[in-house]
Amino acid sequence: MSDVRNNRREAGGSSVITANRLLDGRIVWQVAEGDWSTIIADARIIPNADIEAAIAQAAARQQADGLVGIYGVQVETDATPPVPVTVRERIRAFGPSVHPDFTPVAELEAHA
Amino acid sequence: MPDTIQAPALPVGHYGYDQVDRAFLADRVEQFRDQVARRIAGTLSEDEFKPLRLMNGLYLQLHAYMLRIAIPYGVLDSRQMRELAHIARTYDRDYGHFTTRQNLQFNWIRLEDTPDILARLADVDMHAIQTSGNCIRNVTCDQFAGAAQDELVDPRVHAEILRQWSTLHPEFTFLPRKFKIAISGSPNDRVAARFHDIGLVAKPAPDGGTMFDVFVGGGMGRTPIVGVHLRDDLPEEDLLAYLEAMVRVYNEYGRRDNIYKARIKILVQALGTEGYRAKVDAEFAAMNRARYRLPPETVAAIRARFGTPDLHAPDDAAEQLARARRADPAFDRWVRTNTHPHRAPGHISAVISLKPAGGIPGDATSAQMDIIADLADRHAFGEIRVTHMQNLVLGHVRQDELHALWQALRAADLASANIGLIGDIIACPGLDYCSLANARSIPIAQKLSARFASPELQETIGPIEIKISGCINACGHHHAGHIGILGVDKKGEEFFQLTLGGSPGSDASVGQILGPALPEDATVDAIARLVDAYLVHRTGGERFLDTYRRLGAALFKDAVYATA
Amino acid sequence: MPLLENGRLVPDDWTTLDADAPLPATGPVIVPLSRLEEGLARPHGEKLGVAIPQDAEIDTLRTALPRLSLVAVTFPIFRDGRAFSQARALREHLHFTGEIRATGKPLPDQYEFLLRCGVSTVDLPPGSEPEVWARAHTRFRTAYQPSVLGERAEGVTLRRLLG
Ligand code: HEM
Ligand code: SF4
Repeated sequence: MSDVRNNRREAGGSSVITANRLLDGRIVWQVAEGDWSTIIADARIIPNADIEAAIAQAAARQQADGLVGIYGVQVETDATPPVPVTVRERIRAFGPSVHPDFTPVAELEAHA
Repeated sequence: MPDTIQAPALPVGHYGYDQVDRAFLADRVEQFRDQVARRIAGTLSEDEFKPLRLMNGLYLQLHAYMLRIAIPYGVLDSRQMRELAHIARTYDRDYGHFTTRQNLQFNWIRLEDTPDILARLADVDMHAIQTSGNCIRNVTCDQFAGAAQDELVDPRVHAEILRQWSTLHPEFTFLPRKFKIAISGSPNDRVAARFHDIGLVAKPAPDGGTMFDVFVGGGMGRTPIVGVHLRDDLPEEDLLAYLEAMVRVYNEYGRRDNIYKARIKILVQALGTEGYRAKVDAEFAAMNRARYRLPPETVAAIRARFGTPDLHAPDDAAEQLARARRADPAFDRWVRTNTHPHRAPGHISAVISLKPAGGIPGDATSAQMDIIADLADRHAFGEIRVTHMQNLVLGHVRQDELHALWQALRAADLASANIGLIGDIIACPGLDYCSLANARSIPIAQKLSARFASPELQETIGPIEIKISGCINACGHHHAGHIGILGVDKKGEEFFQLTLGGSPGSDASVGQILGPALPEDATVDAIARLVDAYLVHRTGGERFLDTYRRLGAALFKDAVYATA
Repeated sequence: MPLLENGRLVPDDWTTLDADAPLPATGPVIVPLSRLEEGLARPHGEKLGVAIPQDAEIDTLRTALPRLSLVAVTFPIFRDGRAFSQARALREHLHFTGEIRATGKPLPDQYEFLLRCGVSTVDLPPGSEPEVWARAHTRFRTAYQPSVLGERAEGVTLRRLLG
């Protein structure tokens, strides 16, 4: 299930891999194979040259990992932690702009 | 405070379920529980599960699952509202979003919880059936039904008949695309009948029954089209047979190769009104009409499941209201903007604005839902209506109680006096929630309503409808906005395109694009200049729409782009 | 492939032919619509069925129908609901009383819809779980609209009592 809007990837850049969790729908970012986090700062950054293979690998085990809709998201080149290049993916990464209290980081702290 | 009105046995304003209806909903919940279990176990793939969950109103959105709950013909009772508040508190983040299709959406739902949520909804005779998917969706209706002075027929009984008929319809649940029906019983179209797949206008028949004028093939989306007039005076007993024929022709001939061309509007355009009508008539002639006949006894039996409000007000109710208005200018303003004339003496319909200045259009917190439920019990027979403008209505309020109602609303931040004015903006969820969005709708609405917060300024500007969609699917009705705002994506950044001159009502029209899309930070200023230009050029009591229709786009174009 | 009738697996006596397979002179066969004439040329009394694509106009079967014992409708994908209308037209317009068989990829969750549109048997798609289909068969006790099965209405309401 790749989303055209997110395939705005340039040859030279880097991306992270994202998905939604099947059980609760929440957004996650791939930390390592089989390991996902709700916080984009944890995500591993993959050169675009390798991203399709990494996505295919993650997609192959999505039912076992309890995920849906795996795809890659291009991130700004120099930003650490990673920041997506599109508004859409920034909203996915950092929460709805109209509810500053609902960021993934705030949620994690609320449940900690 | 007047005494609480005793809740009648049957809900006022909507159909009251009986044991058979409850058993059906319980079966439906168990079916979905089974489907969720199969999905989690992996026997259903996401592709197979998706249409099943959509048939229960469950979307996967940007941040989580979104559950869309049906509010049939926009009417709910206080008990149901309290249950929605409970669900918001327990399973979501303490708020819900009322939509232009008179539904409610929760934005932070977990798949695992959904069967339990649906079971709780079923406890109060609610469901999420057919709030998504390529089926016949929730039938929408006039928010002043059964109360409005100008109404000829209360359309809700027929809306309920259509709800039942379309529920898990064996033939029409996998149509080429979604299918939306609206029904009105007033010559003043408040349901946008001409912007629906089927629009019905009910009117009295010579024999004392009901008959219908039928419109077909209207819609928004990427191809906005005003529906065509298919026929007049459809007798009530043929209502279901004729709709069967209309939808059946669509099921057989509607395009399935391209989802953007799959709506019935495209079929009607392709066949021409005459061509489509001929096919419908042929089907109508060939079908077993006796089977689909809607006999008056059935209508009467369903009507009998509706509670009716026992309307009587003190003789001086109108006088008491007039006195309260003279004494309190803020109340007087709210009455001017937020009420609608009632057919019964001493009564009035009150609109609760869900559009506070700077707020999120259509959102209500669980606390507000509880307060509204209490106020509905106290003042309006426990009945609450959702409007396609994303506001709420208490339909039958005594005029002598209106001031008390207003005070209670004001205390809950629910008394914005802006209905039909510039602060009464429709906005879809947009990029803050929606996975299809190009741009954020809500922040634009918030900035506009904050900028035009002053009630005096809003009244000076007068009636104007601003409608915002985050993408071309047009959930925010931008095509039908006097000022429409459409979010577009340019290289991953948000831009907004303005359209002018749209209208949803009896004078339905599609707005015209004004010029190049504007960057996010220029959009609100551009609209302010547009409004200024209108104020300079309007004559007499002209609405914005009238001035635009008289003078055309040029001067507005100058106002928007001159300084840009 | 397993055949389902009334929620139970039943033996399938029919042979389904594709566009090229030779037509046996006797025995129950289902021919594609393109070979209907050929099928009809077999001796009278030999059971014949026809498989129609989802965009076929039912009315074109009008003259052949008295000779047909079976019509197979198809769901190339489960979201393509045209076969529901075809089945209903067969029953309602042409008063067909033979077997209507659903083929392709219908979902168990559509079983009741299939039956209520006039389908009698389902050629289960590969990987189907017959128990899930059986459950779907008895899931609902009520429907809210008339169907070609002519179920009894509950009083004067729109509701029909199933099963
Ligand atoms: C957030 C999730 C939503 C999604 C994914 C979504 C999706 C869509 C899509 C794809 C269309 C275009 C359909 C077509 O033209 O064939 C559409 C149209 C529409 N939606 Fe939504 N929508 C969402 C939310 C809403 C909300 C919140 C409302 C009400 C406020 C709404 C009301 C409408 C209306 C009125 C239309 C236009 C109907 C027409 O085309 O005739 N939608 N939606
Ligand atoms: S108009 Fe577009 S962005 Fe807005 S809710 Fe509909 S699909 Fe989403």
